[in-house]
This record gives sequence, structure tokens and C-alpha cells, in this order.
Amino acid sequence: MIAIDQLRYVRLGTRKLDSAVEFAERILGLQLVERSDEAAYFRSDFRDHTLVFFAGEAADWSVGFEIHGHDAFSAALDELSQHRIEVTRGTEAECAARKVRSFAAFRDPGGNAIELVLRPLHSGWRYFPARDAGIKGLAGVALRASNVSACEELWTKLFNARVSDWVGDASYLRLDQVHHRLAYHPSSASGLLAIEFGVEDVDLLMQNSYFLQSSQVKIVHGPGRRPTSNQIFLTFAGPDGQLFSFVTEGDVIADDAHHRPRQFPKERSSFCAWGSESQLSEFC
Amino acid sequence: MINLQNVSYVRLGTCDLDEATRFATDYLGLEISEHGRGISRFRSDVREHTLCYFEGDPADHTVAFEVGDASELEAAAAELDRLGHSVRLGTADEAAARHVRRFVAFRDPSGNAIELVWRPERLGNRYRGCRDAGVTGFSHVGLCSSDVVRDEKFWTKVCNARVSDRIGDSALLRIDEVHHSIALFASDRAGIQHINHQVESGDDVMRSHHFLRERGVRMVFGPGRHPSSSARFLYFEGPDGMVFEYSSGVKSIADELLYRQRQFPSEPRGFCYWGAKPGIGEFRDDPVKE
Repeated sequence: MIAIDQLRYVRLGTRKLDSAVEFAERILGLQLVERSDEAAYFRSDFRDHTLVFFAGEAADWSVGFEIHGHDAFSAALDELSQHRIEVTRGTEAECAARKVRSFAAFRDPGGNAIELVLRPLHSGWRYFPARDAGIKGLAGVALRASNVSACEELWTKLFNARVSDWVGDASYLRLDQVHHRLAYHPSSASGLLAIEFGVEDVDLLMQNSYFLQSSQVKIVHGPGRRPTSNQIFLTFAGPDGQLFSFVTEGDVIADDAHHRPRQFPKERSSFCAWGSESQLSEFC
Repeated sequence: MINLQNVSYVRLGTCDLDEATRFATDYLGLEISEHGRGISRFRSDVREHTLCYFEGDPADHTVAFEVGDASELEAAAAELDRLGHSVRLGTADEAAARHVRRFVAFRDPSGNAIELVWRPERLGNRYRGCRDAGVTGFSHVGLCSSDVVRDEKFWTKVCNARVSDRIGDSALLRIDEVHHSIALFASDRAGIQHINHQVESGDDVMRSHHFLRERGVRMVFGPGRHPSSSARFLYFEGPDGMVFEYSSGVKSIADELLYRQRQFPSEPRGFCYWGAKPGIGEFRDDPVKE
């Protein structure tokens, strides 16, 4: 079994790097740590970066997970190969672009690009964001897939992910004690649905909500509370059609042995306990 | 000194009692105590009623406060009379209609109708609302004031209220440990400016926001959080333009000696630290755009 140490980063291709940078700094309120013509790196916490926008196509994105230790990393690659999953080792230049010692890329059964990384950069400096959005760090990623059950099987059989809950066929997977770090939503096509950043508390979440409203950012869901994870959330549109969320609070599942995944119906009230509406088919 | 124990009930006139009753039950979520013969009384907690609608002038508002015993009621009446307020002892029928043993009625310096009541009824059976709004009880009123400095003096010198905080000149006054039971707002009219019910949690505030908005209830402020009392709030409009508030998590002031009142600015940031902008005339310096 491959043990994921943590969700590490999201890389997003964009044709409009300047406006993506503006969104990340002004709207998300992240800290820009490095900027070139090709890419912009953003911090959200103790890590060197957790979000990268690079010059490219919006369809070209990936999610990075850290594997702890060289042996575990090699073993992970072997195990994926044994299960006939095509794994590509990153080149030196690609590793440098990700600020990691090694990485390997593969695709989940839905075709979503996943990267496993070894020794990603940490930062010794205090996180000091562009605006006081109260961000505590990259908290989770939501993906779309046409075959959620196959994706769920990959993460729970080959990797150390556990199912926390289901809403209809949507599957919420945890990698540590947080209710979920990864969620799969059934969809006709694969893709990145949302990138979620944790904020300090409900006050910061609501302050962000009014800030986004006044900045005329399109809010697609919330503010609300997820009956599954008990997270308070706010989901809004990013620069290239992907979504971003701010989340706070939420359940911690400390005792794996005693948690039973619960099945919620696929309906609006399973995605928000406050009654907020969404036009997105994934959330209603 | 008139010792106000707590805020007991509000009485509101209405031209459409059925509509007001529908609002109080279906939207506000209160429990009907009695409905008929030109009145509707509603419970929000263990008390027999905390809100009463009666057929009458929609500008006719009364708020009642409980006093400790009969001698205090008499002393209060004598003191108010001495200060030139015209005080009237309620008749037995009027007291029965209010479910209190005895009461006196007078007007505060702004002309707001106030009642002091002795032995208001509480019921043995628990409160159960018409919808699961999480209401835990009627908690405070905003009062219109033609001179907030003068009225603050009345409530704090003649009565036992203490200033917890001020937003501009508007005073938030406590009569027990709850941050405020009376709030005074400058206005060109007399009457009740808003009526507050406490709800169990911030979740209840947010749930009601969606519930009421979907049913076309006009939101006038929030959801938000008051920097003064720390409460999460939602203000919305009820029958006859009356503003109702749900809030949760109001600050408690346990130590009278250590507490210092604070001055907040009379601007949106003084009313909400989430960033909501008030659409309530008395909370703004500029006219509200409809």
C-alpha cells in the first residue's frame, strides 16, 4: 500500500498568466513567492508553494501528493507499474519546476493527472499573504470523473485513502485525520472541479464572502455547511473555469476503526445544511 | 431607581391580523399561545407569550419590562409620576389580556409606550416553534429615539440600565448579564425599531437566511456579526415594515466592575465585521435606497 504523506500542490495551466496571478493575489489573497514569464508560485502556509499557475492550456493541470522517504517513493512506483498503471518519471527540469527532488506522474482511472513527489521544498519563513484572507493552507481538491468507483478503488486499494462519506456516487476520501482531502464527483468528463483552501474561522470565511461579493467574483455555492464533513464552505469561480473554495471548521476523524462511511442522498440538502443553492450539477 | 428584571413582551398593532399571524408562525417560527378575538399571542420560550399582535394601528407599539415585586411597581409608578410621565395603572381586564398580575403603562421621553409588569405568566410545558428555526427566546428591542442622549439618561438614571457599548450615539443597554436588552437608535418616529429573537447557533442564523429569502422575505441586513455584542445576526422585514432580528452568540457581561463600554463608529464596520451593509434607516447616516 502506498502511503500518501500529504496533499502538496495544484498546478494549473493558463493562457492568461497575468490575470491568473492577479486573481491569486487579489482575490484568493495568497503570497506570491516566485514569478517568471512561464510560471507563478503561491504560498498558502508553511510550504514553499501549494499553487502554481504556468503558461499553458487550462486543460493541463495536475495535483501533487507527497510520498515520504526514498524507499517508499520507489516502492510506490513499482506498485503502480505492477498494477499496469503507466508511470512517467519527471525530468530534472520538471523536478526543478516543481521544487522537488523526484516526481512521477500517472493518471487516475478517470484520466486526471496525479503527481507523486519526493522531498518538496519547505519554507522557513512565516507565511505573509497579499491580503488578510486568513488562509491556513491548501486543504483539499475536488475532481470530476466518469468512473468514480474505479478512482475510489485506486485510492483505497493501492493508496492509503479511506472513504469518509458518499453523497450519491460522489466519494469523499481522507488521507489523514481531516474528513477529506480528495473528493470525486461523478461527471461525464474528467477534470478539476475545485481547489480548496482552509481559512481560520467562520468570521474569516464570511468576511471573504462579502469581500468576494464586493469584488464581483462569481460565487457558485455557499456560504454553507457540508452535512458530510461539517465544513463551512464558500465556492467561487476561478480564472479559467475551475473553482476555488474557502473552507473552515470540519470534522476530524481520529479513530479510523470506528468511522463508518455514511451514504447521503444525491440532493441539494446533502451538499449544504444551511440551504444554499448551486447551479452546478455536482452540488444539486 | 426602577429595577427592570428583563424584557417581557412586545405588543404590535396590525391591520391584517391573519397575515401577521402567518408571518409569526410560518416565517418567524413562533408558537401560537392564543389566536382569535382580535389578538394573537406567541411564545418564543417558557413564557406564556413574548409577542402579541392586536387589531389596531400598525404604528401602535408597546414593550414591557418585568419588575421584581408589587412594591417596586408602586414605587416605579410614583417615581415616573414625579418626573412628569403620565402613568396609568392597567385595569384588571387589561392585565388579564396580558397574562400578568398587574402592570403600569407610561411613555418614555421619546413617546415610546412602555409597560412595567408584575408576575407575567410562564408555562409548564416547553416551547415548541412552528418551524425548526432554533428560536431560544425573545431577547431585546431596538427603540426609536428623538434624542438618544436624553433617552440614554432616562434608561440609565431613572431605570437600572447600563451602557454596554455605543455605535455612534446609539446606546446598547443592558439590564442583566446579556450585552443588551434595549438599544436606542435616533429616528424621526416613535416606536419599536427592531425585535430580536435569539436562535441556538450560527447555523440557525444561516439556515433562516436561506429559508426566508427563498420565500420572498425582504432581507435588510446580514447575515453578519456585530463587533459590539459578538452576535451573529440576520435582520429581515416583517408585517407593517417591522424589522425582526435573529441572532446567536450574544456576549455576556458577567463582571460589572471590569467591563468598560466601548465606542464603535456609526458606519457599516461599526455594525458588522463580516462586511455586510445595513439596509435599515436607523443604522445608516444616509437615506436607504429602496
